[in-house]
Amino acid sequence: MINSILRFGLIFILLVLFQILLFNNIQFSGYVNPYVYILFILLLPVETPAALTLFLSFGIGIIIDLYSGSAGMHAFASTLAGFVRPFVLRSVSPRDGYEPGAQPSMLSYGFRWFFLYSAVITLIHHTALFFIETFSVIDFFSTFLRTGLSAAFSLTFIMIIEFYRKLTAQKSN
Amino acid sequence: MRNLLNFLERYSNLIIFLLLESVAFYLITSRSYYHNTKAVNGMKWLTHGVETGFGNVKGYFHLKTVNENLANENTMLRNTVGRLLENDSSSFFPVCDTVYQQTYLYTSARLTGNSVNKQYNFFTINRGTKSGLTPDMAVIADGSAAGVISGCSDNFSIVMSLINLDFRLSARIKSNGYFGSLAWDGKDYRVAILSDIPQHVAVNIGDTIETTGYSAIFPEGIAIGVVSGYEKPGSDFYTIKVLLKTDFRKLHYVDVVANKRKLEFIELENEIQ
Repeated sequence: MINSILRFGLIFILLVLFQILLFNNIQFSGYVNPYVYILFILLLPVETPAALTLFLSFGIGIIIDLYSGSAGMHAFASTLAGFVRPFVLRSVSPRDGYEPGAQPSMLSYGFRWFFLYSAVITLIHHTALFFIETFSVIDFFSTFLRTGLSAAFSLTFIMIIEFYRKLTAQKSN
Repeated sequence: MRNLLNFLERYSNLIIFLLLESVAFYLITSRSYYHNTKAVNGMKWLTHGVETGFGNVKGYFHLKTVNENLANENTMLRNTVGRLLENDSSSFFPVCDTVYQQTYLYTSARLTGNSVNKQYNFFTINRGTKSGLTPDMAVIADGSAAGVISGCSDNFSIVMSLINLDFRLSARIKSNGYFGSLAWDGKDYRVAILSDIPQHVAVNIGDTIETTGYSAIFPEGIAIGVVSGYEKPGSDFYTIKVLLKTDFRKLHYVDVVANKRKLEFIELENEIQ
């Protein structure tokens, strides 16, 4: 228990630092900004109580907000991501359900499963984020394009990080 | 009572979700992104250390361009001083009156935070009320328009960037003097839209767009960019695309412009209206 709190505390801090120092500075053509910090929400153990997931998602969102000066937008989007996570987990669950203490990762459930799972949540998160940012549906297609491109980049980075984690885990075994 | 407790237990997650979302939503709407700069400044102490450290490191990568720009500006200023000295050599100005007829004061500042990929972009500079900055002062970079200060703390100011959907600037075509309103459309960070230029005016690609000085914020004749394309929509006015001279992604040092006669100007305008 203590071990996993420390583990996720470390992941939390690392992802926040990565997001602020690295990914917030990656910008392609003014349209695209990857938001990789949601990997934290994706990685929480399957059995995490829904309320705790919500508070943690809100927490990481508000910290990203503080550092990018965006007042609640990330908090809003990531709380939504935390809210839909249990439903997504249930709908993509393997045939014989999750083992006790299971953690959603590429290592335990494979590339396809993880891609599907993270794609759904990333898309929901980015859509909420970009539409709350423009606060209108006027430039619908431009916002839609921004959402799609950014989601693609975020997903790419998430998959790379996850792939790297899988490799190192396999090596140490 | 029992039913109520059951209800609460059953929907506790939904209730927490809605509660957290409304907190986030409240933050979004009440700040309306920047107006309450007090809150931004309150949070600045948290982020200041990281941003300054990171800004220091990033600054080194751009020293070459910054130096080149400074050298160019020095040459230009030296030329101007030379010209002025020649002009004034025959007249006797009292030496103590160094700010004779000077309307605008300039001070330089360095960026400590910046964004270009949002719809409402702002940047932070390392000077505030202690250096005499107040909201609504113009910010220019390398002699071209960059933004307007929207809030100050003791040592920092938050500047509404030209690439912000709420930014409006009175601008004119340098060659013929027709003026219109410049705003950003939220798409490309290099391109802003100039509207309200009537269609009988000749507009050419490559025309320089500059500030008018009608708002008492920007001095007159500060370059904004060049015309990169135009359309004639169904109305009587052009929609002109302006390629901005300031590259907001490479912004590192800026000048803040204080208008000494702004108060006088505003008081007179209010008196008339």
